[in-house]
Amino acid sequence: MNYQPSILIVDDEKGLRNGTKRLLENEGYSVDTAENGTEGIQKGITNDYDLALIDLRMPDVDGLDVLTAFRKNKPETVCFISTAFASYDSAVESAHLGSFAYIPKPFTPEELLQQLRQGYNRRKLLLESKNLKKEREKNLFELAFEKSRLNTIVQSINEGILIINSKYEVVYFNSALLRLFNINELRVSDVVTEKLPADLFETAEKLIQSDLKSDKSFTKQIEMKAGELFVEVAINHVKDPHGFTVGAIFVVNDISELKKIERIKNQFVSMVAHELKTPIVAVDGFIRIILDKSIKLDESKKTEFLKRSVSRLSSMITLVNDLLDISRMELKNKFRIKNDIDLIPLIQSIINSFEVDFKARKLNIRFNYSTDRVLFFADENEINRLFTNLISNAIKYNKVGGSILVNISDSGNFYIIEIIDSGIGLREKERKQLFEEFFRAKNSSTRGIPGTGLGLTIVKRIVENYHGKIEVESEYEKGSNFKIYLPNYKISKQITGDGNGSNSIN
Amino acid sequence: MALIALIDDDPDIIEASTLVLESKGHEIIVASNPDDGFTIVVDNKPDLIILDVMMDEPDDGFFLAQKFRKHGVETPILMYTSVTKTIGFEYGAGEMVPVDDFVEKPISPDMLVEKVELLLSKEVRSN
Repeated sequence: MNYQPSILIVDDEKGLRNGTKRLLENEGYSVDTAENGTEGIQKGITNDYDLALIDLRMPDVDGLDVLTAFRKNKPETVCFISTAFASYDSAVESAHLGSFAYIPKPFTPEELLQQLRQGYNRRKLLLESKNLKKEREKNLFELAFEKSRLNTIVQSINEGILIINSKYEVVYFNSALLRLFNINELRVSDVVTEKLPADLFETAEKLIQSDLKSDKSFTKQIEMKAGELFVEVAINHVKDPHGFTVGAIFVVNDISELKKIERIKNQFVSMVAHELKTPIVAVDGFIRIILDKSIKLDESKKTEFLKRSVSRLSSMITLVNDLLDISRMELKNKFRIKNDIDLIPLIQSIINSFEVDFKARKLNIRFNYSTDRVLFFADENEINRLFTNLISNAIKYNKVGGSILVNISDSGNFYIIEIIDSGIGLREKERKQLFEEFFRAKNSSTRGIPGTGLGLTIVKRIVENYHGKIEVESEYEKGSNFKIYLPNYKISKQITGDGNGSNSIN
Repeated sequence: MALIALIDDDPDIIEASTLVLESKGHEIIVASNPDDGFTIVVDNKPDLIILDVMMDEPDDGFFLAQKFRKHGVETPILMYTSVTKTIGFEYGAGEMVPVDDFVEKPISPDMLVEKVELLLSKEVRSN
């Protein structure tokens, strides 16, 4: 035996103590002795003995108390209880308290050695499992076997969680992670090198290999599925109780919606910039030419350029007003002065205001309604804007000599206002894009028709503000029907008896 | 004196540019959409093409420029650009965009004339 197993003999009988000591030293043990329980406990908890042989009956402290002290402080020291007064009860109790064996006195050297050999094997097993446990703790694998309520909580949150140890092995993850990282299969102890997006792995590597006590963390935004899934990943150290980095934790958030809004916003801003720049460029061009002394212009040409500049600027003002209207409609706390508005005179007055245009384009306009009054509780400016935009479109996109029909009907729950034109109509693709900001159908028949591309966007927003809806039927080159559904509040008012129609502010 | 094809969907820009270039003695032919633009170039073989980048669609001008090159039209192209940076395009003349130079809107008559004359003189030398 190269290694000398260490053993502490706790016995108040000097003869037995020394006899056993000699015997064991001859067998290659490293032996220490204590002549009473107190000394036994003191030596036992300050040293790390492989084995302990404890007498049951001692004058100061009972052998079972010594055993208890060992179990508490040195659980890997294998303890034997020996006694001359062997009894069934004390044997059972010593087993309960965790003694490896109960050795009745007197014992033969063979019996003792046999027991100690077995005890020493036990000791080796205990140490091994203790090291294993330490190792597991060091590599965070304990986390994987976590069965607590905390585990349930982490599994149920929306954020993806991944913890890896310093060998880049997975020690913990939740199901949200699989979705957010688009991973089909992941197991504890898988190495994540291949599973993580490359730059994320590099960041984790940097973090794990950085100064042991440093306190860095990283946040990254990553596109997971082309344009579909965007995640924000926060990576932090996982530290052991001494503050050393033993791994990294990834917390993954789904930011796809944010990205989508950001993209829409950017698109909108660049479209607005373009729409605003176009007239500025034209006006700028005219003015530069007028100012340029090397370009000869007669007075009538100059006047024409100035007039066209004014016209471009006024269409720009219209555009800016449309933009302001749109952003105003976005404000949820906008003050609307609502009244019971009769749609019939309102629409009639809009039609009248376009009389010059009807004549210029030889359009035939009809206005049909079946009831005397069509009362709708709303902000008059908004409703005026709604039908002005629609009727103006019906004029602009009509053919010379064409017709327009405005028809109001009452379906019970809704007033349906249809604006039907015999104009250029829409292709199916155009019909679908109709309500997008700045969308304008572009083809040979729309060329030269002025507009901001915001008219129908505004229409749609107004209608939706009043919980209505809009439907468009159209046949290319034949004409379009814009159907506006406005909820008929009269019905609910009759039930609640709230029909006084007084001014109110929403 | 050169023949210049001007392709832009904004009639005011066409008018203003035409005036500037005519004052320098050039002859101008115009088109207001990519299809007509292609036709006038193939039919009239101008010395220079001026092309707006954004007609009906944000990159109509690019596609037309590529179409010219694909069909063996080697005429120098000067491209009008408008919202380069805001819309996220960062382009320069070269492989992707087969044009010879850019004029950023708004267009100053001096700058336009300078770039046109430069491209025309190159064209003369290479012939």
